[in-house]
Amino acid sequence: MRGYAWALAATAACTLAGLAMRGRFDLVNIAMVYLLAVVIVALRHSRGPAIATTVLSVAVFDVLFVPPQGTFTVDDVQYLLTFAIMLAVGLIIAGLKDSVRRQAEAQAQLGLVAETERIRSALLASISHDLRTPLAVMSGASSALAERGERMSAEERRALAASVFGQAREMSEHVTKVLQMTRLEAGAIELERDWNSLADLAGAVLRRLATRTASHRIVVDLPEDLPLLRVDASLLEQVLANLLENAVRHTPAGTVVQLRARRREGEVVVSVEDFGPGLPDDEIERLFAKFHRAAGEAAPAGMGLGLSICRAIVRLHGGRIWAERVSGGGLAFRFALPLEPEPSLPAELAAG
Amino acid sequence: MTTILIVEDEPEIRRFLRSSLAAEGYRVVEAENARRGAIDAGSHKPDLAIVDLALPDLDGKDLIRQIRGWSSMPIVVLSARNQERSKIDALDAGADDYITKPFGVGELLARVRAALRHAARPPSGPVLRLGDARIDFGKRRAWRGETEIRLTPIEFRLLACLAKHLDMVVTQRQLLAEVWGPSHVEHSHYLRVYMKQLRDKLEVDPVQPKYLLTEVGVGYRMLADEA
Repeated sequence: MRGYAWALAATAACTLAGLAMRGRFDLVNIAMVYLLAVVIVALRHSRGPAIATTVLSVAVFDVLFVPPQGTFTVDDVQYLLTFAIMLAVGLIIAGLKDSVRRQAEAQAQLGLVAETERIRSALLASISHDLRTPLAVMSGASSALAERGERMSAEERRALAASVFGQAREMSEHVTKVLQMTRLEAGAIELERDWNSLADLAGAVLRRLATRTASHRIVVDLPEDLPLLRVDASLLEQVLANLLENAVRHTPAGTVVQLRARRREGEVVVSVEDFGPGLPDDEIERLFAKFHRAAGEAAPAGMGLGLSICRAIVRLHGGRIWAERVSGGGLAFRFALPLEPEPSLPAELAAG
Repeated sequence: MTTILIVEDEPEIRRFLRSSLAAEGYRVVEAENARRGAIDAGSHKPDLAIVDLALPDLDGKDLIRQIRGWSSMPIVVLSARNQERSKIDALDAGADDYITKPFGVGELLARVRAALRHAARPPSGPVLRLGDARIDFGKRRAWRGETEIRLTPIEFRLLACLAKHLDMVVTQRQLLAEVWGPSHVEHSHYLRVYMKQLRDKLEVDPVQPKYLLTEVGVGYRMLADEA
């Protein structure tokens, strides 16, 4: 609809200009002014408004300027040519513009396809790399048990069965992460926001990861008066879990991993800091790239994926996440979540 | 002999459930869909049911509701990862606990034992021991070591509600409805604040609690030492 308003406005403007020019310029030059209007409308809008401008312009030009004035009659055949040219120019430009727009859309679509394709192949690479080994272990160990079990000592059998179990757990974790990332990428996750306490979530995560973090000393430092956060508890728990697991994986056993939170202006900043070897600055910048693995590292399953998931979840919550070096050489992962006004408390508490 | 009903459509999962439960001395009845499960729940009078939430013919929570219509036997549900919503629905429909696939047999047996123990025990004994803390629900008094600690009426109600389901998970909704009333089921922040207070008063390390546990996105679970 806006296009037709422009058609009307452009024709009106040209008519005013034409009236001002009348007597001092040839009619052909006045026709040129109308042609300009047709070109401009055709460029800005689609075919419809361009045709409308042409028709309007021709009609007004004919009635007001072409002798005999005040009628639709045309004395001189050459003006019919002028009209035809105006119409042709309008159509050609509108057509050109349409095809350019279609091309741009196709280009964008191609770009999207390429990006999706890149993610998909990275996912596939990650799946095949991180799933093949555990699968090989599982089929080997379980077939040994099934076919040769009776010739083994009870101790050997237990060890084999335990390794099947361990690898299956690893694999399940990894598959969960891949699926999670796919769902986050697809925008298929809806936040189930609710008031949650960070201490609550931290306690649950530390309990769930107790065996996997047993090699390190986990220090928790959460201020007593930390406000509640309106977040998706399960997703935020995953962020904490991924960051803690990451820290434990990449630092020597026995070192400290610290989980801290601080209230700042309008937000809460949560940090997982380690005292490991850290990373060079350019590596830190690339940490959050999809499926990044630290260079030259015998990459453990799920690495990189974990951080991309963290970033996607934190962003969904309107927060930001980053990594930085901490004094002493370690690495800190921090994320900030915006604070919302806290809800009112029940009467018993309000009364003290 | 204790009988356990398994309602699960995947034969491979039934297989390892059957062997591990049988090895523990339970009698096992298997049903591969909800319709069969409902019939077996009536005819075999099991002491406990393990119900998969993704059944081919009926949503697991509807089967639970059906069973709850006439039986109070403990029900443990099997659910997939990242499906807090379906866990909550099953628990609110009357399931007593859940276990997330994939799980180890150790985990499952612990849940089963806890659920059976819970069903056999008179609803919440008068005295609970949480480490060095002791709560006497009969006298409405609590101690930390030798020192008496003051609990507010709401704190008592919350503890009692968790204790009633000792070892089992209680959903946020259930807790809010029982402690504050049905009009407060959305007020999850009440729970956060009160659980913190209780942990501050009763736990040695309130951030890494041993007795008042958070089930993320679902609710809370209280454990206790044998009194």
